[in-house]
Parts: sequence; C-alpha cells; structure tokens
Amino acid sequence: MTISSDQDIVLARQKGRSLALELGFSSGDATLIATAISELARNIVSYAIKGEVALKGIQGSNRVGILVIASDNGPGIPDIRQALRDGFSTSGSLGLGLPGVRRLMDEFEIVSKPGQGTTIGVKKWRP
Amino acid sequence: MKSAVGRKNKQGTEFEGEYASLLREYATGGGEAVLGRAYELGRRAISERKSLLELVSLHHQAVGQLFQSSDDKKFQEHLLRTSADFLSECMSPYEMAQRGFQDAVKALRQINETLEEEIKRIAYSVHDEAGQLLVAVHLALAKLAQELPPAQKEQVAQIEGLLSEIEKHLRRYSHELRPTILDDLGWIPAIRFLAEGVSKRAKLPIHIEAKISGRLPSTIETTLYRVVQEALTNAVKHAKAKNIWIRAWLKDQVLHCSIRDDGEGFDAEAVQASTSRKGLGLIAVRERLSAIGGTLWIESSRRRGTELLIRLPREENHVNSSSAR
Repeated sequence: MTISSDQDIVLARQKGRSLALELGFSSGDATLIATAISELARNIVSYAIKGEVALKGIQGSNRVGILVIASDNGPGIPDIRQALRDGFSTSGSLGLGLPGVRRLMDEFEIVSKPGQGTTIGVKKWRP
Repeated sequence: MKSAVGRKNKQGTEFEGEYASLLREYATGGGEAVLGRAYELGRRAISERKSLLELVSLHHQAVGQLFQSSDDKKFQEHLLRTSADFLSECMSPYEMAQRGFQDAVKALRQINETLEEEIKRIAYSVHDEAGQLLVAVHLALAKLAQELPPAQKEQVAQIEGLLSEIEKHLRRYSHELRPTILDDLGWIPAIRFLAEGVSKRAKLPIHIEAKISGRLPSTIETTLYRVVQEALTNAVKHAKAKNIWIRAWLKDQVLHCSIRDDGEGFDAEAVQASTSRKGLGLIAVRERLSAIGGTLWIESSRRRGTELLIRLPREENHVNSSSAR
C-alpha cells in the first residue's frame, strides 16, 4: 500500500496489527509490530515523502512469522551503518528510529543507495 | 534553554489534557488512527524525558476520571478493556528505548572487558618487548664501546645512562597501566604505587589512609583501581588540585573509598548530563561500579573541591583472608 500521509501510516498499522493477530501473535507483539511499521512509515514520510509498505505472513521451517517491507524512491541513505547506529539522529539517541525497529524485530535487512531510494525488510517470528 | 522549566510545566498540563482526551476518543470508538496518535504521544513523552512512572500514573488518573464520568456499565467495561490497549500503545516507544539501553549497557560492559585485555597486552608489550629491545641495545653499545678510544667511551656511557632512564620510565608506565602489584599484592598497594607516580609527575601531595586489608576478587580490585585512576586523572587534569586525599575503610560491611581534592570543583549534575569527555568518564565510572554492585556518590562545589565516594557492599565470599598481607 502507498504511504504518503499520516492516514496511510494509520492504515498500514491497522493492516499490520490485524495480520499479526491473524497469524497468532499476542496482542503485545502485535503492538510492537505496529510500532515497527509506524517507525518505518514515518521514515518514508519524512525523508522520501512517498513510498510503499507491504505486509506478508511467512512460513519458516517450523514457525510462522510476519514480513514487513518498506520501500521508497527517495534520496536514499548515504551511510547505512551510521543510520543504524544509536545516537545518529535525535530519535536514535533514545533508541527509537531504525535502531529501535531493528531491536523490536528478529531480522532486519536494508538496501539503500544515494539517489536510488531505500528498501527495508523486517521479519518477526511468532514465539 | 533557560525557559525550559516554565515551558515544561505548561507542556506537562498540555500533555495530560491531550492524553485524557485521546483516551476518551479511543474508548468511544476511535480506532487505529487514535492508537497511532497514542503511539506518537508516547514517542513525544520519551523525547521530553517524561518518566515511565509519571506516564503510568497519568494514565491511571485519566482512566479513573473517564470511569466516573459515566454510569453506563457497558461503557465502563469497554473502557477498562480498551484502555489497556491504549496504554501499551503509548508504552511501545519505551519498550524500544529500553531494549536499546539494555543493549548499550551490555556493550559497555563488554567494551570494559576488552579494554582491560587490551591494556594488559599493551602493558606487556611496553614492559617485556620494549624492555628486551633495550637490553639488546645495551649489549650492542657495550660491544661498540670496547672498540672505542676512552674519550668516546664516555659518550657511550652517557647514552647508556639515557637508555636506562628510558627503561625506568617504560617500566613505570607499564606498571601503572596494569600494575603487577594489583595481581600480586592487591588494589591498595597498587593505588599507593599509582599515587606515588601521579604525585611526582603532577607535583602535588597525595595523602593515603587505608584502614583495610585482605584481598577481593580480581574483577573488583581492577574496577576499584580503574575508578581511582580516573578520579586522580580528573583531579590533576581538570580540577587543578593542590592536594588529593584517598581514604579507604570498612563500615558496616560496606567498603568505602573516597577520593577528595581541593581543586576547582564542578557542577556534578550538569557534567553528568552532558556528553563531554568528563561527563562520559563519570558515567563510565558509575557503570563500571554498578557492574560489581557498587555505587558512586559525587560531592562537588566550586569552593570546596570534589569528593568521589565509592561504596561497595562486601559479601562474605569476597574476602579471601588467606592471601591478605
């Protein structure tokens, strides 16, 4: 789904939360998944103006999980390692932002090049 | 920044009002959009450094008020159910931050351990490897001197004298980095040794009074040594002290160690809140101490200098009296 406004963020959160509950995540975990979606979508709106968030239930060898992919064609992140470091941005220094998302989820992947946008994929497995 | 206090109060009441009205909105049918805003509110709370307990009590108050505002039992039940979702939404930024802090503390402890290993390695290199090279130079010089006329022999002797001086300094530095005394005799003799060197170099008296004996586990002795080392560095470098007093004593099974100076003093609270080298140094000291169950008390004023007081509750199994000297 397209993300370009606060309303879109709400919709992404809603879909993420209901998918998480459908997949059998606890309501606490569903809240954390919605939180991760918020942070990712927030980044899109603030840095790229417009982008996409895709949600998917996934099947591991003997577990179930959720995959969130946030992508945009914005300016990209010149230094990914820096962006993932705590304290790089104001939100980062409080453990929020991308470093926060990484800690809430089990797996985190990011691809970004200056001028070519950013794609972030995160997975969380049901305990 | 000066108006921060005034603004904070206003912010505080604004925040309370916003929280209560959002909660009402959610309880009366607001869906994900309201939860999204609750999340943003939590995010704001954390960046305004609102305490978690403050937030929880604010939540409790808001729920209580809403509960009393209606006699409708159905609404009240619904309120109790939904308010939990609302609260956890508001808390989730705190969850993120807390995970971050846990990671940071773990990393800091690991860094301390790595640092200690690294220091050992450097101390060894300086002492043993550089020392051996110097011995080789001594031997080569002696051999050279044999073949020289007496006048030049004297020059070689001068060079040898300088080499010995270098050797002495290297040994001293290596021992201060990671004193073998610390392992062999314990933290108090190691601190005496350190203080002697600092006192000579900084040209100020360091008075030591230690009414304590017996050995402690090596991680604890190393930590105490490092904390005193940091305190001495601060006193000499920043405080421009004229005297330093180090005291160690045991009271009510709590080990106390105080490092006091008559230097310039500083605003302990402001320094610790800042990310200056000194602020981070004090945070690191506190963190190191807390890793061994100790605490740090800082007393500093512009007129009376600075005192750092370390307290470490002593456990029975910490005492190893057989190796006490």
